[in-house]
Amino acid sequence: MDRPTQTRLERSYALLGLVLIAPTVLVFCAVIVYPLVSAIYLSLFDIFTPTLEGSWVGLANYRELLAKGEFWVSLRTNLIWTVGTLTLQIVFGVGMALVLHQNILFRSLARSLILFPYFISTVVAVLVWKWLFNDLYGIMNHLMITVGILDFPIDYLGTMPNAMISVILVGAWKYFPFVVIAVLARLQTIPDQLYEAARIDGAGPIARFWDVTLPQLREVLVVIIMLRAIWDFKEFDLIFLLTGGGPVISTQTLPLLVYKEAFALNQMGMASAYAVIMMLIMLVFMILYIRKTREGDQ
Amino acid sequence: MKLRSILFNLFAWSIVLMVAFPLFWMLVTSVKPQFELFRRPPTFLPETWTFEHYARLLYDTNFLVYFRNSLVLSTTTTIVVVVIATLGCYSLVRFRYRGRESLAFLVLFTYLLPSVVLILPLYLMLVQLGLSNTIFSLVIAYTTFALPYALWLLRSFMAGIPEDLENAALVDGATRLGAFRDVILPQLLPGIISTALFTFILSWNEYLYALVLVNSDNARPLTTGVMNMLISSFNIEWSLLMAASVMMSVPLIIAFAFLQSYLTRGFGAGGVKG
Amino acid sequence: MADVSFQRVRKAFGSFTAVSDLNLEIDQGEFVSLLGPSGCGKTTTLRMLAGLEFPTSGDIRIGARVVNDVAPGDRDIAMVFQSYALYPHMTVEQNIAYPLKKRGVPKAERPAMVAKTAELLHLSELLKRKPKQLSGGQQQRVALGRALVRDPKVFLLDEPLSNLDAKLRTYMRAELVELHRRLGRTMVYVTHDQLEAMTMSDRIAVMEGGILQQFAPPTEVYNAPANRFVAGFIGTPGMNLIDGALAQEAGGWVFRGPGLAQAVPDLGPEATSGAACLGIRPEDLVIGDGPIETQVRLIEQTGHENIVVVEIAGGPRLTGRVPGHRLWRLGEPVRCGINAANVHVFAAGPTGVRLNAPIQGAVYSMQQSEAVQ
Repeated sequence: MDRPTQTRLERSYALLGLVLIAPTVLVFCAVIVYPLVSAIYLSLFDIFTPTLEGSWVGLANYRELLAKGEFWVSLRTNLIWTVGTLTLQIVFGVGMALVLHQNILFRSLARSLILFPYFISTVVAVLVWKWLFNDLYGIMNHLMITVGILDFPIDYLGTMPNAMISVILVGAWKYFPFVVIAVLARLQTIPDQLYEAARIDGAGPIARFWDVTLPQLREVLVVIIMLRAIWDFKEFDLIFLLTGGGPVISTQTLPLLVYKEAFALNQMGMASAYAVIMMLIMLVFMILYIRKTREGDQ
Repeated sequence: MKLRSILFNLFAWSIVLMVAFPLFWMLVTSVKPQFELFRRPPTFLPETWTFEHYARLLYDTNFLVYFRNSLVLSTTTTIVVVVIATLGCYSLVRFRYRGRESLAFLVLFTYLLPSVVLILPLYLMLVQLGLSNTIFSLVIAYTTFALPYALWLLRSFMAGIPEDLENAALVDGATRLGAFRDVILPQLLPGIISTALFTFILSWNEYLYALVLVNSDNARPLTTGVMNMLISSFNIEWSLLMAASVMMSVPLIIAFAFLQSYLTRGFGAGGVKG
Repeated sequence: MADVSFQRVRKAFGSFTAVSDLNLEIDQGEFVSLLGPSGCGKTTTLRMLAGLEFPTSGDIRIGARVVNDVAPGDRDIAMVFQSYALYPHMTVEQNIAYPLKKRGVPKAERPAMVAKTAELLHLSELLKRKPKQLSGGQQQRVALGRALVRDPKVFLLDEPLSNLDAKLRTYMRAELVELHRRLGRTMVYVTHDQLEAMTMSDRIAVMEGGILQQFAPPTEVYNAPANRFVAGFIGTPGMNLIDGALAQEAGGWVFRGPGLAQAVPDLGPEATSGAACLGIRPEDLVIGDGPIETQVRLIEQTGHENIVVVEIAGGPRLTGRVPGHRLWRLGEPVRCGINAANVHVFAAGPTGVRLNAPIQGAVYSMQQSEAVQ
């Protein structure tokens, strides 16, 4: 008696659903899935960028890159950048969110000002910071010397470790507002009763932060950290525009290496191999994050 | 108690001002005459105000061309992506068919995917199609990050609309698409608007694809265009660049002002139970 | 002829069976409640009838027509949702007019129909407001109005009163009954509130675990529950259910449980010796006189009557219902008895079937359905 088939109505609904998703699927296949597969395919070739002619080399690109020091150096640089900027973003972001959660004068104006670095173009951010960092006329050197931190002007972007520190700082400045928005949104949903209960139990402001606020923020912080780790890891614009990977290759992260191989050294196949390896490394974070959001959905 | 609050306000605002200082400095620099830039110590507020850099930007450089390109590019991308994503997320959230779950997974996956992985094959593809150096090629490329992003954002808005609203419309005699138009779309509007604004900002600010795919001033958007002004000049005119930065940020400020009101409006909640 | 019928309807979500093998025939003009705890399949059943869920197998009929393939809008039904599901961007007037618009009622005729419905539900003053500007009770009436305006064949109501406060709920219950009488339309009403089901329905379909347990008029559900689940679910306080064993002795069937032995007359042919369950309604427990020795453990005074919980030494606790002036002290020993004519016997297990012989006529219906409240 059981009819395993769907009713006609149900089938027509499913069909409509497929029609509605069709444009998405088509675009996805054309501009994401196909290129993704090609990237892996390309990495098996030796391709000269200007002519786009190439020959099959199999896994040679991978063997070569894993043997080359530059890959490992860039990976290390990439990790230093990611961990450095991410840490600052989280610390400043949470701190700023706590401050903005309080009742301060012109709170919404303060919030807008804080969020602005996140919304402006990286190009704008970099231009402004390059001007601030200008060795001769930059306000940064002037301020540092006036305050007495520096005795003489320094080169912020052309020497190490200054370049790395500068890049990390600018990255933190540009992206910490994301943490502020997310944490602020979560802070507003913590029920007041929790704080009242803690106060009745005799907890001071510091104890209330550790025992009430932080545990409540845990979930959202885990998600923010994973998401920002992924985004920071693949950051290209900011570093490329600030230092171009320099001095020499001291701030050259993997995305910059891919770009350099493909468009400066004209090794498209090799660049693809770098890109694929980079994606594999990121896959770990991505799967962790996707798992986490799945949990959240249920 | 009073004193503590004053001190806290001072503390909070000094941090806020420090964070905002680079933006303040950008504005100040853009209205200083060239000679004042090289004054030591630097002047905090311009002694002479001038808009000559803005005038030069508009009349002597390609800024307006870039601006127009960016506007066309971002608007087109936003419209294409938001239309596709609105239909797509309706399907993803409210219909049942095989492969729906894996598709949602793919969306999230591509949302996190680094551009540098896709850029090489995309570059090859667009060159082979003869589309490189066109705004259209950038629209295609921007879809790779904007569509997953818009789908992901809209999905949560869509999920916030109570299913019973659609069901009620169905029982009242609407078809699925009728219910979508009459009931879901009006409810989704705030979500669509904020998704559109975010997508616009994302496209407006994009740099890497523009750098790789477009090599002519006719199609160059602001990001690479303004950056070119920095690289191609012998002696860097900081005031001009800061004026360009300010102008470039104006559409973002407008979008941002809109977003503030839309972001505070409830995600979902909708009409059920007041 | 049945107005709504379910024939061998099954609904599975993946491996989970929400409704299994449901057969239900609802008569023209009848008010039927689907009653059960949450997750029992009652809402799924209603949604299948509305066309919002699709049966995995089986047929659903409205009138003579199998509606499995008919879109919700073409089934000639109207539904009131638990959340009301008012369209937030439309005014009350537009909300009520929406089904008319979708059914192609000419624009000129709509205002009069809306006005008539609004008057019936005392909404005339509110027509220009948005749902957000209405109280819960007003929203509920708009939801009703949207259902009433087009005079459908069947009304479906999914816990429509559950978001109202207690007083308003009592009032709306009476209103709905009145409305049903006036319209004479078939109504299918989903609720988890037995009081609503008992007071409003012509018949109640009690569901549990996706299975229809009993489909009968309220008094019958109360006085002759079909199985142990129904017995325990219906009635406040609940029926005392004591596990023990049945044995056939010289004088007939005897139930023996911890601390008590009770002769049970009139068992049906299915009765067998062995594990069984004795059910006693609180009003059938006689406190203060009888063969069972107990101690008073708890007294709840509600004013006009007292709920008294007594404990059989080393055995179960029993709940009784006595008039408000009868008082005991906690811990006081008291003798109890059982009104033998009204005991229920069920086979062992959570849904053990009723073993009593079918009752003749509704002997005590009125008094006891009052007791439910």
